[in-house]
Amino acid sequence: MLRWLLLAGGCGLDVVPGPDVSPDEPPDGTVVEGGDWYCTETSTLGPRQLRLLTREEYRNTVRDLLGALSIPVSGDLPGGQPCGTATFALDDPGMVYGSVAVAGSFNGWDAGAWPMAYDSGAGQWVRTEILGEGTFQYKFVVDGAWIADPANPDQADDGYGGANSVLNLSCTAALDLGALTANFPVESRPQGFPFDNSAAAGLVSASHADAHLLAAGAVAAAIAADLDGAVQRIAACAPADPGCDAAFAADFGALAFRRPLTEAQIARYTALIQAEGFPLAIEAMLSSPYFLYRSELGADQGDGTFQLDGYELASAMSYFYWASLPDAALLAAAADGSLLTDAGIRAQAARMLADPRARDRLARFAEQWLGAEPVLTTEKAVEFPAEIRAAMLEEAGGFVAGVAFDGSGEFSDLLLAAPAPSAALVGWYGTAGSAERGGLLGLGAVLATTAHSDQTSPVRRGLFVRERLLCQEFGPPPAEAGGVPDIDPDATTRERFATHTADPNCAACHRYIDPVGFGFEHFDPTGRWRDTDGGLPIDASGDLADIAFLGQGSSLPFSTLPDLSAALAGSDRAPACYTAQVMRLALGWQPELDEVCAYDAIRLGFKASGYDLQELMILATLSDPFRLRVSP
Amino acid sequence: MISSGRKAVHPWINLLRSPSRRGLLRMFGGAALSAPLWRPLLSPGSSRAADGSAERVIFFYFPDGVAGPSQNGEASLWHCTGSESSFTLSETLSALAPWQQKCLFFNGLSMGGTDSGSHPGGAKKLLTAADYGNNESIDQLLARTAGWSSPWRHLYLGAQATLNNASGDKHISYPVSGQSLAPEDDPRRAFSALFGNFTPGSGTDSGTGADGAPRQKVIDSVKDDLLELRGQLGGGGIEQDKLDYHLSSLEELEGRLTGGSGGASCSDPAVDTSGISDATIASAEAFPAILRAQTDLMVLAMECGMTRVGTIQAATHTSELIMSRFAGTEMYDPAYDMRSHQASHYGASHNRSSREFSAYLAQRKWWVQQFAYLLQQLDARPEGDGTMLDHSIVVLCTEVCDGNTHLHDNMPFVLAGGGNIGINPGRLLQYSGDRHGNLWVSVARKMGQDIGYFGDASSGPLWGV
Repeated sequence: MLRWLLLAGGCGLDVVPGPDVSPDEPPDGTVVEGGDWYCTETSTLGPRQLRLLTREEYRNTVRDLLGALSIPVSGDLPGGQPCGTATFALDDPGMVYGSVAVAGSFNGWDAGAWPMAYDSGAGQWVRTEILGEGTFQYKFVVDGAWIADPANPDQADDGYGGANSVLNLSCTAALDLGALTANFPVESRPQGFPFDNSAAAGLVSASHADAHLLAAGAVAAAIAADLDGAVQRIAACAPADPGCDAAFAADFGALAFRRPLTEAQIARYTALIQAEGFPLAIEAMLSSPYFLYRSELGADQGDGTFQLDGYELASAMSYFYWASLPDAALLAAAADGSLLTDAGIRAQAARMLADPRARDRLARFAEQWLGAEPVLTTEKAVEFPAEIRAAMLEEAGGFVAGVAFDGSGEFSDLLLAAPAPSAALVGWYGTAGSAERGGLLGLGAVLATTAHSDQTSPVRRGLFVRERLLCQEFGPPPAEAGGVPDIDPDATTRERFATHTADPNCAACHRYIDPVGFGFEHFDPTGRWRDTDGGLPIDASGDLADIAFLGQGSSLPFSTLPDLSAALAGSDRAPACYTAQVMRLALGWQPELDEVCAYDAIRLGFKASGYDLQELMILATLSDPFRLRVSP
Repeated sequence: MISSGRKAVHPWINLLRSPSRRGLLRMFGGAALSAPLWRPLLSPGSSRAADGSAERVIFFYFPDGVAGPSQNGEASLWHCTGSESSFTLSETLSALAPWQQKCLFFNGLSMGGTDSGSHPGGAKKLLTAADYGNNESIDQLLARTAGWSSPWRHLYLGAQATLNNASGDKHISYPVSGQSLAPEDDPRRAFSALFGNFTPGSGTDSGTGADGAPRQKVIDSVKDDLLELRGQLGGGGIEQDKLDYHLSSLEELEGRLTGGSGGASCSDPAVDTSGISDATIASAEAFPAILRAQTDLMVLAMECGMTRVGTIQAATHTSELIMSRFAGTEMYDPAYDMRSHQASHYGASHNRSSREFSAYLAQRKWWVQQFAYLLQQLDARPEGDGTMLDHSIVVLCTEVCDGNTHLHDNMPFVLAGGGNIGINPGRLLQYSGDRHGNLWVSVARKMGQDIGYFGDASSGPLWGV
């Protein structure tokens, strides 16, 4: 089914509406009066049943699961290599040596087996090997001479009057959360769905299943390193005590699966503990679909809908607010039934939003909603340092979370409040034009990801506003649409793109896109202010036409970027779209019906709250689409 | 200085080597595999022939089409001219000259369908032969049939194909209808997954045991839970497909524990990853090295008998890849950032005299050269009574024909190799709009899978193949 806002054919083709598609009619389920629109059809329930944990959710879940067991974790260390990996390095800034090798107990002290490679950037000889867990002795062989590692203070007598270097690799120290998911595949994101948690896209390939098993093994090993303590904390018994196996299966299972196990499940895992021991059973539980997927099966209501039970609702809330598993208080509310009432949801939601995890979650939401993550990798024609890219990403997420949790909490401030760039970013941005940089439209990550490498892009920037902030979508450009107009030293970007609105074929879509994107023209492809466009004066005025729906026929002229921000902040459409974006995150799904109407009831509550961002997150969990589903 | 896996990772590991070469020198056992529970198995993958050969298939994708018939009526610079047996390679395909007699060239194949003028529509239809990707893709079908008994049923390697959160409609491999998979973009990770933990015959270390027995116990338990959960799902749909696919993935891992088809072995596998690091993995400058490493890895995995079905996805449609940054190539232009998709529209003028068009043609030739490298690698490895190439079907494909018109007619496919598994190559085949689903039927049949049709509007094998 085509969405109404997806203009059939797009620019360049004759716009031939299908039978139920017309660019000059409001969306299905809406009526228009006096230039504004009203929804008549408002509730759309999703078909979701199972939701695979994302990498972020997996890491957070393990973090909080092990936290409950008092097992140390570390999320700060860069990961990506299996436990027991060692990188040997010998400083040699001028490449004075001709050849360097590493020899030791791991390779039979073979001086020729493991030659090291010279890295001219670091001025070092290096070699990385996966040695596994254990204690090893080694030396470097430098142009035939055997020496201990000068950078390693741990030494042992080599039996010849000298010293070997000693390397102790342990895999039982703090579990590295980053490494845990380093080999998980990236999440697939359906076209137009900006978040990493699409319910439909959560497929487990063999490499994904392999990574799941390896991660479960690593977590189980971390628990096994303090098994007595972990079992005691979870099940209040010693592993050898009679009945402790069943108690642990039930209690650890309830934590990991986020709901009580059935008797049959407890029996199955108890038998596994008895046959194979606690670590293997833990590994199995952490590889189970009950751990890896969240159930949203619900109970049949007899009217074609299914209602999530208390535990499913607890998980739905905790993964929405925290990207992690429910805590004890939330599970208790699920157990005593209070979570099935509006008052119970509201009480838990308020408590959870006060937890720092909620702030992190909203920051990650914002990075995805704004499409900010690619700022880390997007190509630029000028030097664009990694630390500036990282600072921009942090600025974007932190800005939205800051408005919601530290500032006014109002939606309009997402467009109006002043961001708080880091000192490094202030250095990058400079002071020129800082007054023009209010709200999320002026975030460096937004400006950089919506530009090409060597030039700004009114098209991408206009589409950013239309698609991400207004939920107005356009189909792909038609066959003979052009590329980006050639760079011309004698013309501004605005002039080069004039053909888009002069040619009626192009104008069908681009009249909505480019005049919005022109508002950003004072910001270059790396987010810095520019007074001129290649020496030519900049005209950053434009028109946010048809803000309520395309084809409306309205005009909303602006003269500067802050004007554009103010126009968006004052509209009902932008918070309506924000509502839809929050619901996408909450549900991992988007309806084919125009979303803005699908969630109109939530939007109206949001509006009644003065567009309070935290209240919207509570309203989302109270809504029918959050608590009910239909058959797939 | 020393660091364990938990500390700083040095980004300059130039040559990846297997940490467990002792295991890789071993041969696979021959234990029987359990049949799949969830899908009809067309026919189990045939074992290697007595001479050690095995049929394989590789799909090699590149983005943004070719210089096909232009909107101004200019002739295609991709399609070949001549008769079936006597024909001239086009300018774009000139790098294939050494393998002209080992390739099939096609004129007039169509992808049809409702969305016949877009990049996303083309990428969805390419391997599924179905609108909106509403079908399993041919590589995935072959993975669960012909590839069934291999330790890796399928290898899906990408080069910057998931960069910048590329959306799912940019990926071409569909394990379930309507839902694509994301490829593995990092050759270092892919190498580690293939050779780092895997010990043929005894499987993968799983943290609580050094041999495969504990992992099998874990998998047994997970399968119990999966089947139980599956029983709780009402109706079919994507949810059931998801769990079925998950089950299939676990059984693939089981296959690695219990031993795949006979004969898989590998000694001291290595792939050159010079120039590829965390710092460069997203850069245009490193793209050629990444694609080369992934190609080498695919050949290595096949040579070692670890898989026989592979997909290589180079970038994604409407690609922002700045190909003018490829040093030492015809495309190199440090003064101007020429992106693949930008070039594909022949510039704003849509004119072949534009510099964009010159760049576009050079880019397309470069993609063909990368495909030629794959053929060269396969053809350099003797196997049975020929080479690996003679025992492999290698398909070159992209999601549209002409990059400027986006049309899905006269699609630019090349089928290489297969001379010893029933393909009669060295010919130019002419069609008048026959659907490319028929080509996939033919490929499946050469791979031993007797399917009658594939996707929408296919009617049987492609005549002449």
